[in-house]
Amino acid sequence: MSERIVVVGFGPVAARLVDEILPAVRSGLVQLMVVGQEPEAAYNRVMVAELGVGRTTAEALAMADAAELMADGVDVRLGVKVKRIDRARQHVVLSDGSSEHYDRLVFATGSRPVIPNLTGLNPDPAGPVLPAGVTALRDLRDAAVLRSAVADGKRVVVLGGGVLGLETALAASEEGALATVVHNGPFPLGRSIDRGSGSVLTNSLRLGGVRMAGNARSTGVETAGPGGSFSALLLDDGSAIDGDLLVLSCGVRPRIELAEGCGLPTGTGILVDHHLRTYHEPHMFAIGDCAEVRCPDAACTDCRSATAPSGLMGPGWRQAEWLAEYLVVLARDGQAAADALEALPPEKPGVVVLKARGINLAVAGDNQADPWDEELLEAGAASGRPRRQVSQWADPEHGRYVKMTTRGGVLEGLVSVGMPRTAAELVVLFERSSELPADRSLLLRLDGPDQLDSGATSTDPQRTVCRCAGVSAASIEDSILEGCDTLGEVSKATRAGTGCGGCHEDIKGIIEKHFQAAAA
Amino acid sequence: MPNGADTHCPYCALQCAMTLTPATTDSAAPGPVAAPTAEPAHPTPPLEVSGRDFPTNRGGLCRKGWTSASLLHHNGRVTEPLLKGSDGVHQPISWDQALMLIAAAVKDTQKQHGNDAVGVFGGGGLTNEKAYQLGKFARLALRTSRIDYNGRFCMSSAAAAGNRAFGVDRGLPFPVTDLDTASVILMLGSNVAETMPPFVPHLQGARDAGGLIVVDPRRSATAALTSDGGGLHLQPTPGTDLALLLGISHVVVHEGLVDAEFIAAKTTGYAALVRSLNAFWPERVQTITGVPANLIRETARRLAHGVRTGGSYILSGRGVEQHVDGTDTATAAINLSLLLGLPGSARSGYGTLTGQGNGQGGREHGQKADQLPGYRKITDPAARAHIAKVWGVDESLIPGPGLPAVELLKSLGKTDGVRCLFVHGANVVVSAPDTNAVTAGLRALDFLVVCDFFMSETAAEADLVLPVTQWAEEEGTLTNLEGRVIRRRQALTPPPGVRSELWLMARLAERLEAPSIFSDDPESVFEELRLASAGGLADYSGIDYAMLDRGEAAYWPYPVGSTGTPRLFGDGFAHSDGRAVMVPVTPSKRAVRSFADDSLALATGRLLEHYQSGAQTRRVEALMAAQPQARLLIHPGTAASRGIADGDYATVTNERGEVLCRAELSNSVRADTVFLPFHFPGQENANRLTEAATDPISGMPEFKTSRVWVKKAGATPAAAIAVGVRVPVYVKEAL
Repeated sequence: MSERIVVVGFGPVAARLVDEILPAVRSGLVQLMVVGQEPEAAYNRVMVAELGVGRTTAEALAMADAAELMADGVDVRLGVKVKRIDRARQHVVLSDGSSEHYDRLVFATGSRPVIPNLTGLNPDPAGPVLPAGVTALRDLRDAAVLRSAVADGKRVVVLGGGVLGLETALAASEEGALATVVHNGPFPLGRSIDRGSGSVLTNSLRLGGVRMAGNARSTGVETAGPGGSFSALLLDDGSAIDGDLLVLSCGVRPRIELAEGCGLPTGTGILVDHHLRTYHEPHMFAIGDCAEVRCPDAACTDCRSATAPSGLMGPGWRQAEWLAEYLVVLARDGQAAADALEALPPEKPGVVVLKARGINLAVAGDNQADPWDEELLEAGAASGRPRRQVSQWADPEHGRYVKMTTRGGVLEGLVSVGMPRTAAELVVLFERSSELPADRSLLLRLDGPDQLDSGATSTDPQRTVCRCAGVSAASIEDSILEGCDTLGEVSKATRAGTGCGGCHEDIKGIIEKHFQAAAA
Repeated sequence: MPNGADTHCPYCALQCAMTLTPATTDSAAPGPVAAPTAEPAHPTPPLEVSGRDFPTNRGGLCRKGWTSASLLHHNGRVTEPLLKGSDGVHQPISWDQALMLIAAAVKDTQKQHGNDAVGVFGGGGLTNEKAYQLGKFARLALRTSRIDYNGRFCMSSAAAAGNRAFGVDRGLPFPVTDLDTASVILMLGSNVAETMPPFVPHLQGARDAGGLIVVDPRRSATAALTSDGGGLHLQPTPGTDLALLLGISHVVVHEGLVDAEFIAAKTTGYAALVRSLNAFWPERVQTITGVPANLIRETARRLAHGVRTGGSYILSGRGVEQHVDGTDTATAAINLSLLLGLPGSARSGYGTLTGQGNGQGGREHGQKADQLPGYRKITDPAARAHIAKVWGVDESLIPGPGLPAVELLKSLGKTDGVRCLFVHGANVVVSAPDTNAVTAGLRALDFLVVCDFFMSETAAEADLVLPVTQWAEEEGTLTNLEGRVIRRRQALTPPPGVRSELWLMARLAERLEAPSIFSDDPESVFEELRLASAGGLADYSGIDYAMLDRGEAAYWPYPVGSTGTPRLFGDGFAHSDGRAVMVPVTPSKRAVRSFADDSLALATGRLLEHYQSGAQTRRVEALMAAQPQARLLIHPGTAASRGIADGDYATVTNERGEVLCRAELSNSVRADTVFLPFHFPGQENANRLTEAATDPISGMPEFKTSRVWVKKAGATPAAAIAVGVRVPVYVKEAL
């Protein structure tokens, strides 16, 4: 009897896991069951806001096809919740009353939006009931709500200055809605960026048509709209921000109650070791947003700096790929072979690139230090470890700002606003831990006009005019002196211009110049 | 005596038409001229070259073509069979001795080690007739399965992807001139401005429309064509082309730019492809590739817009194909083209730009380990039966599939490997990946026969070097990059002592008592090729020399009774259901790696002045004067941190070898990348550093992302200064 793997949750991370295990299902090595709470199979949650503003379609977001998976032998259960897990019997109990055995169980339960404590909102974390006109923009149904508001050019209030909130507001604004971002602190994105980039970013958002309400503390929602729907967000200074739709973008929290319910250790997320195994229960695993990789070994250096689940997709997908291989090896070759696999390498701090048309922003790592912050720069510089260094470029007038925080020339933090090429290069350098060029300004010039080949031509007579045939300006002038006065004749005499033809204008110019000089 | 001819250039797959006419000066005539006391290094060529009007080159030629005749009477020419003595020096022997020796070596080797201990390594520069005959010779005369060729290093990934998606692989499934009116052309890892300059005018329409989009980590000469409003240059970090293509496709899907009608009617696999693309939104792709998300979106939109205006074309080259995931990268390019509905459209399309002179024909007629003539599979019983019938042999005499090039070369001298090797039209010592290992393999052979017209670096390793004809000395056909069959014509008599490879195979077949017929007449061989290819994918059965000589444009498939196929896919694709297959692909995990250790990515490529291993172009005075040595292209910032100034000698090393050459500082290359041309031998040989890791589907090696460390060279070794025209190992005796 082949081993039975049950995956709890069917989001993008679970979809990757299922895809990777699929060959083993087809070959009969393992049985696979995946349980998804939503009626749809996995779709790309990262792009729900794009769907909400009408920039993509629900079909295009699909990441799995339930019917195809079933045809391949995967037991797919959609619109069904796992109610509880019986560890002793190795059973999952489903909301439809059925009970299913597992040999291995993978939590891929993801996260749920944080519902802020506001008067007028039910804060019950397990099943918030939001009033009409309030959405947390998490699934396809939420997207449909946003879609109709944007299509009608309604007023959209986004509560929260995180990445998703900014992306939603900017996209909604660009697609015709009137968007306002309400956030606490002087600038959005909080501690992940610094003041300089924060103010440049705020300005850019305003130029993009988004109203920015900073340093705002919201206290409640007013539901005086039609049918008791949302009408305004109330602030602690007594003011209110009127709107037709409130998008809650206050972060997410791992969904861990199933794991907690069966007695597994949890922190922010479900605690797992470097093999993604839950503590004390090596045949249960967790991946993606619900998993917190922090091994029980107190001396583990990787885990000392471990952070809560990042909420980014990349780490979850890497976990899914790794775990799929582990599970397949386990089923095929046994525990010893699976344990021999290299453990999953620790994740680097995540990189955030704002998904936006009008604004270019990339952020990663720690960006708090300024070039002259001795205390912050010296932090962590001991026993031969170099101190941090900060290079900075600020051009608020043109909406450009870059900060690079390095140690030993390698990026520990980066933030770039309004400089796409620079941002792209810095992110690649950060991801690879590559050393930056000593002259950091090289990275700032990538977006400059001097990076394009100029059309100016040199007047050195020895310069090569025609690369294809290797003909110098001097040879062309000689041919003109010998009587050639058209492009065709020069080409015939010198072969210049007979290859790619790119120098034809140049040759004509030399002929013209020659005869102008002669006439003068 | 030279008599001149209308023929085509000896070098790349554009096969520019040229006319050769006898040189006007007397001194150019070969033969009964008194032997000079000191032969000039570069005698005056016996023929003059002029461009000839033809749709591909329109009378244009590049420097390589203009100077090609200077090799005809070059004094480094090998004109007699040369046997390496125990002292390592090659000495002339007669053809009769040479043939006897080979026959004995083949028989001995096979008696001791089995039939597969004899191997053949062919080339994409051989005429169709030679490539066809070589496959037949290997299987029937040498009775070995071990034949493959250097096209494995060029076209194999694109070929595998084309076959998988379309059911057929013809580099450009449309005439080159179709590009003239396009409004958008996406060039993926192809530097035509250096490799085939007369191709560039075909990009002019797109440049005028601002629609030339070049993907290249380097600001190559082709990438520079996008400046001044010509289009866009996308500069991904090496090895990330696949992710970039997925990002562009992602935008096409999500922004509703797909050709839904085409997809529904002409393709399969759309839904699965869409699912696979979901993970590659532009901002994520930016973090992988270093290409800004806005450029990724812009590219997708321009391609879609181009379809509705003058047409959109996607062309791929070795830059994206010569990777361990080359087949998947080419597949991603094809998927993008299918999403946009380009293939089969009269004004849009996808194609790959074939590199070697006969890189197209050379990959169709049995030079590949897994293939029989007409682009047939050697494992297909019907194909075997057909070919056995044409050859007049029992099917059981045709061996099964052999080893692809890299595996073949790895097996040299090994137990159960190849111990006696024939090399035709290839210079593997310079051109194969991990060349130090290849050279060691050649030296471990019991017997190495190399057919060449010069003492190439590979010929220098040979036990026996056989002098063969050059392009202007022979008749035959080639198939250019658009699948058009063209004629190569003889313009002068070869030097005495030089033989054609067809002649050689015919004589050896006799001595090895091979079944079937081995003609030494090109036209007769072509007539047999016609029959062999009939009914295959690459069907030449309706083509003959007479029609080619009348100037008819013959594009395969050209079955008897048809008029050929200038444009493929108009009536559907070559799979049985007539649909193209979209195969979801994702980047390999190998692509993600750390550069924390100060390493750089090495990309290899070409210079305008040289062709392939440089065995020919390094012997042309004008070309060597222009590009005498390999130069390492390095970003000024990267050079500065290593203390390297422009013109300094630098070492480029990794676990496989070391290259020593001058550095050229340029911001045309990314700071994380260095570039080396691969035309140079010895300590400048870029392939000392490339890895013999291969694509699992095509067998293509990884040429473009080797990991290397670059340092300023210490005291400049004397040998490094001795550049310029190299003296061949063997200089033939004066006449």
